[in-house]
Amino acid sequence: MFGENACSLIRELDRNRGSLPPYNNEILGEVEKEICHLIQQNEADDFEAHEDSRVGEAVDYTATIRTRHAIIQRNLRCLLAYHYNRLRCLRTMRWEFGSILPPDIKANLSHSETNWFSKYSSMLATYMRSIGDDGGVNLTIDLNPPKALYIEVKCLVDYGQYELSDGSLVLLKESNRYFLPRAECEDLIRQGVFQHIVN
Amino acid sequence: MNPEEVEFLGEKQLISVIPTFNSSTIHLVSGDIGPFRASLPVNVPLWVAVNLKQQRKCKIQPPDWMDVERLELLKEAEKTSRNFVKMPSEHYMIEGKLLLSVAADDISRADEVRTIIKDIWDIRMSKLRSSVNTLIMGKSYGNVDNLTIMEINSMRPLIPHAMDQIHRMKMERSRFGTPSQSVSLALLNSSNVASTFK
Amino acid sequence: MDINIIENTENPQSDESEYEEIAHTAAEVLQLMEEAWLNEKFAPEILPHKYDIVECLLGQVSHVEENLSNVHNDDLRRSLHQMELDRLRYLVSSYLRLRLEKIERFVYFILKQEEERSQKGEENYLNDNELNFAKCYGQSLDQHFTDQLQFWPGNIPAEWKNQLIVPNIYSYVFMKAKNEIEGVMINHVNEEEEVVDLKTGSQILISYNNVGHLIRNNQSCLI
Repeated sequence: MFGENACSLIRELDRNRGSLPPYNNEILGEVEKEICHLIQQNEADDFEAHEDSRVGEAVDYTATIRTRHAIIQRNLRCLLAYHYNRLRCLRTMRWEFGSILPPDIKANLSHSETNWFSKYSSMLATYMRSIGDDGGVNLTIDLNPPKALYIEVKCLVDYGQYELSDGSLVLLKESNRYFLPRAECEDLIRQGVFQHIVN
Repeated sequence: MNPEEVEFLGEKQLISVIPTFNSSTIHLVSGDIGPFRASLPVNVPLWVAVNLKQQRKCKIQPPDWMDVERLELLKEAEKTSRNFVKMPSEHYMIEGKLLLSVAADDISRADEVRTIIKDIWDIRMSKLRSSVNTLIMGKSYGNVDNLTIMEINSMRPLIPHAMDQIHRMKMERSRFGTPSQSVSLALLNSSNVASTFK
Repeated sequence: MDINIIENTENPQSDESEYEEIAHTAAEVLQLMEEAWLNEKFAPEILPHKYDIVECLLGQVSHVEENLSNVHNDDLRRSLHQMELDRLRYLVSSYLRLRLEKIERFVYFILKQEEERSQKGEENYLNDNELNFAKCYGQSLDQHFTDQLQFWPGNIPAEWKNQLIVPNIYSYVFMKAKNEIEGVMINHVNEEEEVVDLKTGSQILISYNNVGHLIRNNQSCLI
């Protein structure tokens, strides 16, 4: 059925919200073919209609032409929505990953999308550099309101001496509790030395 | 707004602390704090108070309202009033949550305080739910006087969104005489495009 | 710590906008930034930019950073300043991000509006750098869409320019009156207008189109 392929592109977007599936060359080709085909048919019918009216025959092509036109418009809309929403997704990824995309995502882009991504990257960088008088502001950090610098942790092992980034030393003993800067704790929590105590 | 953002707003609220250290005035952009003299109370923003308390550098003086008797009265008033009672603090939930979590030892009968604050919140939320109908069915605007930022935020996105939809339907009816499905959709908006295909 | 910033006070009743110089303390500027942040967060449309406030606060940030490098052996002072810097940076960045998101989402509509404002000699809502960004972004979309439609027999349609994504100015917002406001006109669909007076501090849930001007001229704020 007409419009079916274009519609499946949109369904694909909807199924993959927030991620970027491979650029669907195959289906896009089908949709393009369908559009070209419908435009040709409409032009042919339009020509016929003129011929007919010249020789005085009255075949009405209006309904057919309008229907085809509606399908063309529908397809166009889907094509644009498909491409636009992929760009929006790419945009989000620029904010998440920075100007260099992970290879598995890069592989899913069309040539034109890769171009757009680097253009977007550079216009964003230009804008961020322009903020304030002090060489700019990086807007891709400080994404969440800052939280308390100190957190309470429980030490799970006898770790011994640990040097904080300001040079001071702490003796970490099993089952003792400490108030330490969050940034200092994150590694040790991952290593299983600390357990974060949440009230 | 997400809860962290609401908390961020509430953290500028001033709280009285009793420092255990001495220090001259600190010139913060948000205003000067101090000078700090050990055992003399001084007002600081909540985020500073929490930080000092975590480093064991102060005792917190709970706000006047954070007291079982006062809160019981407030709870009674909230129960009996049809309208929302004005809260003693625009950020009572945030103050309650943060202070009770880092400074429970400085608050007398902390567990009871915690429970009553929660009760008041619950009463207000249930009042809010039952007044939603009047809010939506009534006029083109609704009064939300005396609701705190956090309470207002709990209505999002549902209530404003419902109002949007009702407004949309009214507009359609006035345009075509009858409700219609043909809401003008922006071409590129995928959520709209996608939902017409479902 | 007194600083001067120039504030553009718009008068909705007249076409002339007056400039007023008001001295603000840093704390007041911070308060204004917070308000601008919330307004931008909840208003469906992009609001007139507040770069005067942004730049002022960023100046404060640099100033504090500089002073911090001279502070030694005072962990407490340092950590409090550091924490505040984080708060300021978050506020300013978040504000600018919100605007950038709107600029991208409504790019063609915003460019059209800015064009109209320039023609009428009105103040732009975007600052120059934002406007540059908007133009680049719009062009990059045009280019991308045109590339995709190369296969089209005949003239390539530019549908995306005819049916713009526009903000829904009828969306409902929570608003707080900063001072007493008389005669707020509320439009009802199909019904007569209603006039409401608002007391200082009163809070209402209302369709944005009725109160947008009160936000832009600072009589009210969104919450």
